[in-house]
Parts: sequence; structure tokens; C-alpha cells
Amino acid sequence: MFVIKGVPASPGVAIGPAVLLPTADFAVANQHIEAAEVKSEIGKFGRAMEKTQADLDANEKKLRETLGGEYANLMSMHKMILQDPMLKDAAIAKIKNEHMSAQAAIFNTLQELAASFDKVADPFFKERRNDIFDVGKRLVSNLQENKGAFWASIRRPSILIAHDLFPSDTISLQENQIIGFCTDLGGKTSHTAILAQSLKLPAVVALSNAAKQVKDGDTVIVDGENGLLIISPDRYTLARYKKTQREIKKAESLLQTINHLPTVTGDGRNFRLMVNFDPRTDTKENKKLITDGLGLLRTEFLYMNIPQPPSELEQYQIYLSTAKKFDMRPVTIRLADLGADKIPDFPLDEFDKDNNPFMGCRGIRLFLKNPDLMHTQLRAIVRTACEVPAQIKIMIPMVSSVEEVRHVRDALNKALAEFAKEGKKPVNKIALGAMIEVPAAAIALDGMIGEIDFLSIGTNDLIQYLIAVDRVNPEVAHMYDPCHPAVLRTIHQIIQTAHQRGRHVSICGEIASDVKMVPMLLGLEVDILSVPPRMFLRIKNRIRNLNFETCSDTAQAALLASSSEEIRSLVEQMNQDEDS
Amino acid sequence: MITKEIKITNRLGLHARPAALVAQTAADFDCEIKIAKGPVEINAKSIMGVMMLAAEYGSTLRLSFDGKDEEKACAAIVQLFTDKFNEEI
Repeated sequence: MFVIKGVPASPGVAIGPAVLLPTADFAVANQHIEAAEVKSEIGKFGRAMEKTQADLDANEKKLRETLGGEYANLMSMHKMILQDPMLKDAAIAKIKNEHMSAQAAIFNTLQELAASFDKVADPFFKERRNDIFDVGKRLVSNLQENKGAFWASIRRPSILIAHDLFPSDTISLQENQIIGFCTDLGGKTSHTAILAQSLKLPAVVALSNAAKQVKDGDTVIVDGENGLLIISPDRYTLARYKKTQREIKKAESLLQTINHLPTVTGDGRNFRLMVNFDPRTDTKENKKLITDGLGLLRTEFLYMNIPQPPSELEQYQIYLSTAKKFDMRPVTIRLADLGADKIPDFPLDEFDKDNNPFMGCRGIRLFLKNPDLMHTQLRAIVRTACEVPAQIKIMIPMVSSVEEVRHVRDALNKALAEFAKEGKKPVNKIALGAMIEVPAAAIALDGMIGEIDFLSIGTNDLIQYLIAVDRVNPEVAHMYDPCHPAVLRTIHQIIQTAHQRGRHVSICGEIASDVKMVPMLLGLEVDILSVPPRMFLRIKNRIRNLNFETCSDTAQAALLASSSEEIRSLVEQMNQDEDS
Repeated sequence: MITKEIKITNRLGLHARPAALVAQTAADFDCEIKIAKGPVEINAKSIMGVMMLAAEYGSTLRLSFDGKDEEKACAAIVQLFTDKFNEEI
């Protein structure tokens, strides 16, 4: 038995024989052909073009049906690249004039194109070279006429092991008897991962060299929950995973039955459960969830991978289509939390020479220094609020003092006044709230609470700042601990202060979707939890099976605890009680 | 042949979507359409060519149209630029 750790890309467990995707021989030596072969080689190239075009057409249609327009547009971009004279004409000229084989001609043309793209200084344009190679690889694989034969050779449900997988390959996996897959490359938010989730195919990516370690026919387990690939598992491991598989299946069918039920504990205490919505990864499955609103819309992604900050119109279009999905429910838009690990491509002075970016110019600090950036985002949000019945809420990231809140309030009023001049007014009053993640804001919350309409605890950063521990530093990462007494006491104090002034508190960090921590958070009397869509039903189910009185008692005991150990054993105990 | 100078006025420059619009529109016409920025000249019917120009906000492009339908082509392409590719209000 052999285990490789990767990144979980799509949940679930799949067990079966491995099939290895043959890698296209992409880098070819300058294969030359005889003059007499030129005509047939050009014919071969033409057929591969037609086949690729048909593939892309079919994929575009499938993508439009499963994931919607944005992904489908990626395919139409690929189609334009395929038909681009710089690729097509150049490759044909190489076959004709230099007597290269079709494959060598494509490869050399791609190399030249990539080289000219690399010359462009702008990182945004450089990224497009990946699109070009995607198309080129597909074209080459269609030249090698044995590819169809590979898929046809799969006779039983199998697990695909590949070095890399195109999104467009992913979408036809199920028709080819693939029940799960693993790749050496890829990431959690890659198109391939998102597709796997919507197709409900368990998948693990970023395994670095799995394709070399597995042989055709080996029994393998894809553990999409924990990001593991298990090769030739022993009897016990196999039995354990078969049990997990049955449990997941049972849980899933149960979860569907609770979607329309309220989020209420066994003893009748109501909570609100929202989603952390990401328009880039919205799937049909997510659309079915009946939620209490959008608890956190992160907006940093709008600022990434583009040469200049997004315009008001670009932002407005995304906010509008998002808000429309939530009809009259709350929609919480967080102002861009740029800085720290989210550095955009366009230049901002504040990021130069920043040795300690997590304590540097990020979140609202950056916006106050660049009022134009903030003004554009606020205008885009106000414009949205003038057109939708949803309750638009604006959340300020990285607040440390009440003055910062006042500055944002002034800027918001300015944007509102501009629209008022045009005779436009938000359908509902826009609420302004703060993300509490800086300890100073938590401690001095009583001074700020009168000037904000709501608040949300950003537990990921709050824990990091409270314990003064950098999660990505392996020397201290183990000290990052949601069960530290200081963490629970701070959350408790924030909630109490807010409740005294009639404000609601939500939690939207990872801790909110940690099934084990949920009872503790309920016991501390949080009002709203906001979780990623894939965790929504699991968390709802957890809350529906809890007893609020018990949670409350345990939370009180935890607040008196002097060590993480004590708190952790209280957490474990609460989970065991519920399981039995 | 028609030639025309044009300044990029949309803030994001000729990024992927505008580049696609230019190439798609150019492909609808029979005439030859070239775009030049500084010493680099490309075929406007090539999306990769247009992207390679990396034409940013404020830069000036020289457009040339040569062929039977050059006037119509010129009008259509220039329209895209003046409309800022429908990106801004």
C-alpha cells in the first residue's frame, strides 16, 4: 500500500482499477517528411483541425448547459485561437515549405507564438499563452489518431490517472466510465476541479508524480475528502473506505431532504445560515440551495489578473447578476481586501518594500490611501442597490478603529449623493458593517458599535493576529488554534457587545464550516453562520441535530477553561454526544 | 487603401475580450486589415496578433484596410473603439 498526498479538488470517495492517460508526445524532434508526403500531411492537419473544432463546439455546448456562459466563453476563445491565421497558416506553411510533419509544424508554431507572448511585459497578456498551449495540445492529440481508441479500451468503471487534464476532457469523463480522477498538476480552483465538483466526480489534484507511481490496473482509492491517492490499499483500508463511501451516499440523500427545512436546533432555537458566494464557481447544484442570504461576497478576484482596476460597470454587472440570485434576501459585499497574499497585477506604491504584508497596507487601509479605488467600488455597489430588492450590505475589511468606519461612511454618503442627483435611490437602505479581525477592533468594539449596522467575525485572520502566528510559516503553523481560550473569549466578548446594542453577528471564516466547532459557536450565541455552498447542507444538518441548551452550557464551561486541551476535549465530547 | 489612427480610450486596453471583438469583426470582411503599434504590425483577423500588441490605455494604433469592402470594414472597426467595446458607461 502506498499513499500520496495531494489537494482535494472534488469531494467523495472512488475505488476502482487505475487507467493511465497516455501523454501526448508533444515535444517532437524536427520530424521531416518527404516532398511527396506534403499533400497527405496537410490533409492530416486539416482533419485534426476539423476534429478539434468539433470537440470545442461540443464542449462549449456542454459547458453552457452545466456551468453557464462564463466557462462556455472560454471555449469560444479557444475556437478563435484554433482558427487564428497565426496558428493555421503558419503551421501549413511549415509543412509546405520546410517539409515538417504536421505535429512538428504545430509544435514549432506554438513555440514561436509563446515566445512572442513572453516578450510582452504585461503579465496579463503573458497568461494567455496557456490558452494557446491548451488549444495546441488538443490539436496534437487529434493528430494522433489512437486517442479515441484509449477511451474505447476502458471496459469497466475506472479511475483515471493523468499528468494533466483539460477542462474539456473532464466533461466527457463519465461517458467513458471514469468514476474519479487524479492529476499531477492543477489546483483547487482550476476549471477542471470546478467541473469535477459539478459532475460529482471525486478528484485529487497536485499530486506531483502520481502518473509515474501508478500502473494500469492497480487498485486505487481517490479520497476527495482529504486529498489522498491510495495505491494498492490493504484489506483494512479498503474495507474502511467502502464504509465511508456508503456513509457519504447515505448522508447525501438525507441532506437533500432537509434543504427546505428551517435552520433550527432540536430545542427550537433559530439560526440563520448563509453562503459565501463566489460567482466564478456557481454550479447548478448550488443554485438549488435554499439559503438565508449571501453572507460574504469576496471581491478581490475582480482585481486580479487584469492590467488595471475593474471599472464601475464591470463591477456593477457582477454585483447585479449576483444580487438578482438572492431576490429580497441580504447580500453582503465585502470591499476588496487587497494586500497581504492578494496582490493585484496593476502597480500600487503601497506594496513596494512591504516586509510584513499581513500587518501592512491591506484591506481598508489600502482603500483609504487610494480613495479613487474605493469610490469606484462604492459607486458600483450603490448602483446595484438602486436596482435590486435585495438588502445590500457593505462590509469593511481589516478595520482597526472607528475613524476608518467614519471615512468609509463619508465616502458612501458621497456616492449616495451622486446618485441622488440623478434621481436614483437604493431600493433598501444600504447597511454598513465591519469585519472584525483585528484584535484592537474586537477589544474596543463598544466605541465602534454605535456607528456600524452589523458585524462579521473574520475568524481566519482574527486567530492569526490574536495568537501572533503566521499560518504559512511551518515552524509555528501548529500554534494556529481555533480552540485557544483567547479565541473563544474574544468571540464571546464581540457577540455580547454587539447584542447589547442590538447588532447581529455573523461568522464567515473556516471555523463556521467546521462541523466540530459549530456547536461551540452556537453556544456562544452567534446569530448567523456563512459557509461555502458545498458545506451548506452538512452544516444545516448539524445544527438541526443539536440541542441549544447543551451547546450553551458547554460554551460557558469552555469560557472558563485555561487551556486549548480542555476546550478541545469539550468540543470532542459535544460531538460524541451528538453522534451516539 | 484606407489608413486611420486611433487612440485606445477604454481603461483596460485591448485585453482578451476587446481583442476577441476586434478579430471577430475583422473576420467578417474580405479586405486585408492590419493594425500597427510602433514597429509591430499584425493581421487584425488574428486574435493572438491583436493580443500581442498589448495595446494599453492611451496608446495610439494605426489601422489600415485594403480591399473591396475596406470602407465598411473601417467603419465597423472604428465603431468598436469609439464605443470602448461597450465596457464603460
